[in-house]
Amino acid sequence: MFSDDQLNEIIVEAENVPSRVVPEKTPVNSSFSMVSSISDIDVTDSQSFGNPDDKKSKQLLRFSTSLNESFLQTLHRSPGSVGIDTSHENIQGQKLIASLIPMTSRDRIKAIRSQPRTMEEKRNLKKMVDKEKSKQSHRILEFNCCAQCLNSVSQAYRRSKNSLSELLSYISLWQKTFKVIGGKFGTSVLSYFNFLRWLLKFNIFSFIVTFSFIIIPQFTVPEKNTLQFTGLEFFTGAGYFQDTVMYYGFYTNSTVQHGSSGAPYNMQLAYIFTIGACLIVCFFSLLFSMARYFRNNFINPHIYSRGITKLIFCWDFTVTHERAVKLKQKNLSTEIRENLSEIRQENVKLTLNQQLIHVLAHLAAWVVSTGVAIACCVAVYYLAENNSEFLKNHQNPGAVLLLPFLVSCINLATPRLYSLFRLVERYETPRREVYILLIRNIFLKISIIGILCYYWLNIVAQAGEECWETLIGQEIYRLLLMDFVFSLADSLLGEFLRRLIGMQFPTSLGLQEFDIARNVLELIYAQTLVWIGTFFCPLLPFIQMISLFIMFYVKNISLMMNFQPPSKAWRASQMMTFFIFLLFFPSFTGVLCTLAITIWRLKPSADCGPFRGLPFFIHSIYSWIDTLSKRPGYLWVVWIYQNLIGSVHFFFILTLIVLIITYLYWQITEGRKIMIRLLHEQIINEGKDKMFLIEKLAKLQDMEKRANTSSFTMERRDVEQTSPLHVREHNAAHDLRFRRSVQEENPKV
Amino acid sequence: MCSSLATRVAPRRPGASGACSRALAAAFTMGNKQTVFTHEQLEAYQDCTFFTRKEIMRLFYRYQDLAPQLVPLDYTSCPDVKVPYELIGSMPELKDNPFRQRIAQVFSDDGDGHMTLDNFLDMFSVMSEMAPRDLKAYYAFKIYDFNDDGYICAWDLEQTVTKLTRGELSAEEVSLVCEKVLGEADGDHDGRLSLEDFQNMILRAPDFLSTFHIRI
Repeated sequence: MFSDDQLNEIIVEAENVPSRVVPEKTPVNSSFSMVSSISDIDVTDSQSFGNPDDKKSKQLLRFSTSLNESFLQTLHRSPGSVGIDTSHENIQGQKLIASLIPMTSRDRIKAIRSQPRTMEEKRNLKKMVDKEKSKQSHRILEFNCCAQCLNSVSQAYRRSKNSLSELLSYISLWQKTFKVIGGKFGTSVLSYFNFLRWLLKFNIFSFIVTFSFIIIPQFTVPEKNTLQFTGLEFFTGAGYFQDTVMYYGFYTNSTVQHGSSGAPYNMQLAYIFTIGACLIVCFFSLLFSMARYFRNNFINPHIYSRGITKLIFCWDFTVTHERAVKLKQKNLSTEIRENLSEIRQENVKLTLNQQLIHVLAHLAAWVVSTGVAIACCVAVYYLAENNSEFLKNHQNPGAVLLLPFLVSCINLATPRLYSLFRLVERYETPRREVYILLIRNIFLKISIIGILCYYWLNIVAQAGEECWETLIGQEIYRLLLMDFVFSLADSLLGEFLRRLIGMQFPTSLGLQEFDIARNVLELIYAQTLVWIGTFFCPLLPFIQMISLFIMFYVKNISLMMNFQPPSKAWRASQMMTFFIFLLFFPSFTGVLCTLAITIWRLKPSADCGPFRGLPFFIHSIYSWIDTLSKRPGYLWVVWIYQNLIGSVHFFFILTLIVLIITYLYWQITEGRKIMIRLLHEQIINEGKDKMFLIEKLAKLQDMEKRANTSSFTMERRDVEQTSPLHVREHNAAHDLRFRRSVQEENPKV
Repeated sequence: MCSSLATRVAPRRPGASGACSRALAAAFTMGNKQTVFTHEQLEAYQDCTFFTRKEIMRLFYRYQDLAPQLVPLDYTSCPDVKVPYELIGSMPELKDNPFRQRIAQVFSDDGDGHMTLDNFLDMFSVMSEMAPRDLKAYYAFKIYDFNDDGYICAWDLEQTVTKLTRGELSAEEVSLVCEKVLGEADGDHDGRLSLEDFQNMILRAPDFLSTFHIRI
């Protein structure tokens, strides 16, 4: 209704920005300064969940963009003179530089990098800040050469960090492959491969730690291996491998000492501390990753929108392959059409009958899925229990593979069964469907692992077998191996066959899409087994490393050959957050529970392993503390153990403090939600005010114009009627009136 | 490794093998031995972008490879060289992107799409995965603002939707989509999206960080 220029002029006038402003950037400037006036309230919190560094850089982002001239001016300015230039950009340029000077160099570089300016402006900014900083440091140089030392140290540290990151990026795996995958399939499929690479890092770290601290010392104290090597060991894990560093049972419980002057190396303590260190590092790394993902990707559920805006503005720029881009454009059109029609159907209410049918369908699906999961667990437990008799009857060494085979079959078939429920159930949003499918699958997998752990810890460990830890290690190895073989077969054969079938009947099935959720759950399942099994089989991270490596290439090849890019938008960030949460919550915490029960409650076997003969595994730590308490130099360790780790009061007080802090943060979050809502309403009101004022101003201007044209004609008639004697006087009065009306017409020129 | 990427993503160009050997040379050079930039220039680039020294050299060789006759191998004297838009738009990373023209226009000095080395580095620095969300949101806003007036109005949205769907949607559907977008994202109800509306909307779309990303 109003032209854009009119609107822009009025906006400029309303905010009183001085006239010497670069015209084409005016509206952006004005919106920036409007926001900066609102930001006097603590609005930065509501706009981000970021740390103080981000807040500061966000405030810097709001300064005007065209500061090049002001930079050049201040560069040429003589050092002693005070700038009498009061232009808008100069003031803001000074403010920016002044805010950058007191920052540490790391923060300063971060702030400069985040500035939305051209490279030349950033370079000039950096030069000026460095100049000002060196001027300031010159003045205090005489008093504080420590500051310069610190400066050079920090610079050296920064340079070394840069070269380290260069080195890391140099050995970073699969960068080119990621580019190709992302180019053809987009970010969502790439998130699966990213997850795989991230899990690989965990395993590499675990392997390096266990190799250095447990396996190498054990190599220096070798024991004879009298068993025969047949090729079957790779599948069963038993036989020759039983007496190698692969399993717990091979490790000595002695204190290794080479020569009379070598340092003693207690294998018991080394074993338990190494496994503990691996788990603690994995725990903290998982925790920090989860927290970071939550912070970046958490969406306030109150402002969730099934919106079309995300489809429009979140185009995947990583897709570079021509056919993939065309396909993506076609899929996007389909999704937009679906979204438009959804909105039209949103108001269609279902009848009571239909609602009842839907609820019944959901209930039936849940009952069936839970029933299937429980049935699978019972079958596994029954087979595991009868396994020992079965093995005695069948002398075939491959018979031990029956249980892993059954478990892998269950893991293969049941998720596909769950996917079939889609035909019966109808969900409101596809997102809910994906989440419910995931929950059912993870319930199945965790139940199977849980029932197996129960069997191992309660039956195998207490059955009085000779070396039950090794037996458990072998079982876990077989499970992992069978899982790996099944995944390979599925990728190489199953998906290939599916593509052939799809090509035969092109209209109905078409090419398949990569099922990210199912594949990620398989990775989580395997990683859970590895974490449990590291205690019983220290070489397991190495085995998992190799299998992940091979899986990457197999999945990559299968992806390129057999799959098409995804047709629906897949919210990769939210899904990743959920997957990492799943990795932490049922998976890793379950591992911690299992190992805690093992260490505190179970009796180690009497003849093998580093803990042989002890009543419980934890007694190795107790005896160590006892030996330390006899040495005067280490009494602080004993004190820490007795008063911090072993005392109930300390944990009680700690829990209380953590709960209080959590409650306070929760209240702060609630307060901020209210603040967000109020500010949102304020924005809407300001917009309404703006439109109202614009309309009123336009109406006034119209009225002025009409009034002036009518008074003009009336005055002309008066002038014609009066005598010539009064002509000059009337002319002067008329001129005066005309000038005044012109001035009124342009009020704020 | 470089030539396999070239065959997979683009037809072989005559300069490719030379670029490959130069890129390999860059990869094995520690920063002190290169002769393209002075030490201060390279350090300034490192501090003003999100790239390491090695990546800056690799990007320089990619830039040089676009127009080998135009771009000198010695930047110590800061030559004023602009690679025309047609060559930038033919890069394998950009050639099929529906917004390649807008990207080049936003990051070039005069808005015409012809880019200097500074513009080139700036562009890939903002589109890299280390750039923060606000910086990306700012530039995404400028890219979607086709008429450069500082606001995304209905006409800008129509252009965006047309480029995204490549003519698959009818005109009525396109205008319906634009209406819906304005209804959802326009916070102050002035009929167009300001930078704040856009940033607010981006906050609710956490995928933005990973999708607004070009690997090079």
